[in-house]
Amino acid sequence: MIDVLRKNRVQLITLIALGLFFLFASQGMSSKDWVVTMLRGLAVGAITFLVASGFSIILGLMDVLNLAHGALFMVGAYLGWSVYVRPDTFMDLLTPLALVGAGFALSPLWDYWLTQLSLRPALPRTWPWVGLALSLALLGFTLARAPMAAWNPEAYAESPIVWTQAFEQGKLAAMIQPATFDGIPPWAGLAGMIAGGLLLAISLAGFRRARRGEGTLAPPSWGRPLAIFVLLLIAGVGLYLVNDPLTAFLLGLNTTWLFLIAALVATLAGAGLGALMEMTLIRPLYERAIYQIMLTFGLAFIITEMVRSTWGRSGFTMPKPSLFAGTGEGCPATSLGGWLQNHCAIIMVEIGGETARIRTYNEIFVTLVGLVVLIGVWLLLQRTRLGMIIRAGVQDGEMVEALGINVRRVFTLVFALGVGLAALGGVIAAPATGLSISMGASVLLAALIALAIGGLTSYPGAAAGAMLVGLIQQFIIKYGSIGIQLPFMAEPFKPSPTVAPATTVLLMVVILLIMPQGLFGRKE
Amino acid sequence: MNNLLEVQDIHTFIGQFHILEGVTVGAPEGGIVALLGRNGAGKTTTLKSILGLTPPSQGRVVFDGQEIQGRASYDIASLGIGYVPEHRAIFRDLSVGENLKIAERRRGDLERKEELIFGLFPDLKRLIKLPGTSLSGGQQQMLAVARALVPDNRLLLIDEPSEGLAPVIIESMMEAIRQLSGDSTILLVEQNFIVASRLAERYVIIEEGRSVKAGLMADLVDDHETIQRYLGAA
Repeated sequence: MIDVLRKNRVQLITLIALGLFFLFASQGMSSKDWVVTMLRGLAVGAITFLVASGFSIILGLMDVLNLAHGALFMVGAYLGWSVYVRPDTFMDLLTPLALVGAGFALSPLWDYWLTQLSLRPALPRTWPWVGLALSLALLGFTLARAPMAAWNPEAYAESPIVWTQAFEQGKLAAMIQPATFDGIPPWAGLAGMIAGGLLLAISLAGFRRARRGEGTLAPPSWGRPLAIFVLLLIAGVGLYLVNDPLTAFLLGLNTTWLFLIAALVATLAGAGLGALMEMTLIRPLYERAIYQIMLTFGLAFIITEMVRSTWGRSGFTMPKPSLFAGTGEGCPATSLGGWLQNHCAIIMVEIGGETARIRTYNEIFVTLVGLVVLIGVWLLLQRTRLGMIIRAGVQDGEMVEALGINVRRVFTLVFALGVGLAALGGVIAAPATGLSISMGASVLLAALIALAIGGLTSYPGAAAGAMLVGLIQQFIIKYGSIGIQLPFMAEPFKPSPTVAPATTVLLMVVILLIMPQGLFGRKE
Repeated sequence: MNNLLEVQDIHTFIGQFHILEGVTVGAPEGGIVALLGRNGAGKTTTLKSILGLTPPSQGRVVFDGQEIQGRASYDIASLGIGYVPEHRAIFRDLSVGENLKIAERRRGDLERKEELIFGLFPDLKRLIKLPGTSLSGGQQQMLAVARALVPDNRLLLIDEPSEGLAPVIIESMMEAIRQLSGDSTILLVEQNFIVASRLAERYVIIEEGRSVKAGLMADLVDDHETIQRYLGAA
């Protein structure tokens, strides 16, 4: 019995602390307020968890402190908004992406052929620069004339704020122009993108050739690169041809479906961005931890500035999907059934003689997404071979490699997964909290505190820490409005909402003093 | 020259320290070669250099006719080299079964080897669901050796298998290693000279990062002068 207690003392302490916390938290609070605050706290915790979990897996497996994680959360939100409110812009982006990307699909073949060529010594170093300049000029020329529906953050009438209003009022379809090339025939534009992409990929392969030297590569397999190349060409040209009808189709969709598409695109784009970041920027710096921290810290600034110049400095909102936005007949709903029928934005529930207003998106949907991801990633970690390799690699990457497993490839996958989760967090948070330049920094701070509380590289720790951070924030904010009766004060004490983040730091300090490795962390 | 493994005059740096300054080891197909020498002589680094975990900066490592120095560790291991590190390196967050499963290089490796593994280490079978940490030192050592047996490895690099084990367990571990040497070649690092001399047919002595003496174990056992000089014990 005592042995069992000792073995599970961390869980016990956590349970007791949580119990005390809720006992304290419910002091002087009606049960209605308590339920609503709990739900809000869980929702904030869910968003924090989406950022914290990816951050912690990346930190655990490859010792990379990805300080750009918050900025990537923000990118997910802005990308999601763009697909959701401006499907025309999204469609316009697909053709150039596919056609320029097609050239890169052939990279393994270029790498091989170029190393087979015999070149005079001076040539290998100079021609890639020429090719690079030419390809960039060609791409710049064609892309500037390609159809690209956009907003303009500098002019209010074309700003994201106005576009969001048009979306809410259903006037969007009328404002959208057909996609046409500007001043050049479409075939020339499409050919320019393909040629530019090919030339760019060949030039970059040329730089690698200069480093490798002649005859150093084994012949690659032909089939796959060629198949991907052809598929991307067909996709790029095809998407251009059906651009307008497809845009109209997306605009006509129920906003719930459109939101799902936006979330999927933002998540995948985030994952792609993460993979790219790992392969190009992080990988050369695995041996130099300090440089890596500076790199990700700098990236956070660069990404934030890029978002600011693209979407503007002022914040805006993202309309809620229709499943959670109903205000008409039968709303607010009084039960879950009523919500399912009328898709109400609000459910009224009778709790302890009072009526609680629960927002279906902010409080219920967000928490559910967090729960689904929590279980999904847990299953991935526990039930798949990839998860087994991640868990083993967190402890001892060298031994995993010594078993014959390519750990570097797992690193790329895990980086993609982590950043993808952050981007998903961003897109899910956006309809609840709105979009702003500072959303990334504040969620990163909350996630870092959550991880310090839960244990830096522990998955259950990330979940418990995020939940605690969310709950404490929301309870402090609630007490800010209703006041709490403290034994040594005559008047009810009303903490200002700005102290909420400070309170989470205070909790972190207390927990770290008792358990320096966090609730679920392991002593090193 | 038909040795399965041929290490020729390798030099290895760790950071700025020149740890290996010319190590040559040959291991014929089948049988056990023991690397002997004092603490810090460079025995473990020799194993790690073969696997590319601490890549040699100079010299050649030839396995089965191919030069493997400079290749990535996972690539070298995939050629059929198993590694049982010092201190075992059992994965804590994985169960005993998962610790074996993760070593599969092809689907079904573990099923094919189950009989061999549980024949050698019957204890592991009943521990299969337990977390890797809950094992005793001896059980962890068995698991570490078993893990190297899951894929078809032709060469096993075993570092200090007897370290910290009770005498009874050392006996059964030795028996297991002896059985394994029929199917694969074993390069063994062993501080305990009695254990090493009973297992290995050949030896290589490493002293301050250099291989200084090699030959048949049968000749070394009676060469008290060499033992006294390089191993400081007998």
